[in-house]
Amino acid sequence: MTFEKRRANTKQEIPTASMPDIVFMLLLFFMVTTTLREVDVLVKFKLPEAKAIEKIENKRLISYIWVGDDSRIQINDNLVKLDDVEPIMYGKRQELPNVIVSLRVDTNADMGLVTDIQQQLRKAYCLRLNYSTTLKI
Amino acid sequence: MIKKKKIAEAAIPTSSMADIAFLLLLFFLVATVIDVDTGIGLTLPEFVEDVKNVEVPKSRMAAILINENGDVLLDGKVISVFQIKDNLKARIISKIELPSNKKLIVSVKTDRKTKYDIYIQSLDQIKQAYFEVRDDYSNSNFGKKYNDLVETQQKDVQEKIPIIISLAEPEAVKK
Repeated sequence: MTFEKRRANTKQEIPTASMPDIVFMLLLFFMVTTTLREVDVLVKFKLPEAKAIEKIENKRLISYIWVGDDSRIQINDNLVKLDDVEPIMYGKRQELPNVIVSLRVDTNADMGLVTDIQQQLRKAYCLRLNYSTTLKI
Repeated sequence: MIKKKKIAEAAIPTSSMADIAFLLLLFFLVATVIDVDTGIGLTLPEFVEDVKNVEVPKSRMAAILINENGDVLLDGKVISVFQIKDNLKARIISKIELPSNKKLIVSVKTDRKTKYDIYIQSLDQIKQAYFEVRDDYSNSNFGKKYNDLVETQQKDVQEKIPIIISLAEPEAVKK
């Protein structure tokens, strides 16, 4: 009795014709979700650490204010004076009424400066605030 | 002699399309920054020209003062930053069943020279105290952690344990 080797009589190839489609789909997903870095940060800062932190899901609402270790303030792409914070932020609020201001302040900055910025923000009616911190492990 | 040319099949070679797409894909994979901003959220009060002082009963207030050296004063007692949480927790728990106009108000006041880091640490302690109380309350009432509750239950907990943090109006300081 002879055994016949069983072999499928289909082509032994992986169909790759749909591979570009799949890849394009992935590509599109990443293209849509990517937010390319828009600004160069001109100040040097190290964020403080905290445990009880929350995530801000909606990135489009966030507007950043950086404060460096040399007490310089940066909004958008420019270094600004303290007195300019109010008009700039007021303009931002008019574009985006429920803007969240995220403060990226260096750990060694003085609270005086932070309170001054907060006062400016209050005058500009930007009341939603977020102290940017990293997770303490 | 001229050979008759064989008509080539009209097809665009698509075998390299996958490669090109992969290349693009890789670029976007590398360039993507999926970092959600994390931090401590807060809502500032509206700006008013003349500040009216509202008397708040002492039992409702937890006044935290931080000086420039990082020493913390909670209701007149000197404590370290890391003791804020335990001190506040007891007071928050004792006020869970009170009506909403009797809940605890945590007031934070800093010196102009206080380091930002210490301010964040104390704010973190306050938030932690609140989060832990909320978790305990949800655990005993719903059997779940606060974050796993459905929205209506979260609202319920929020009503029982609202986070009220008051940033004290900074005093006018001479330069």
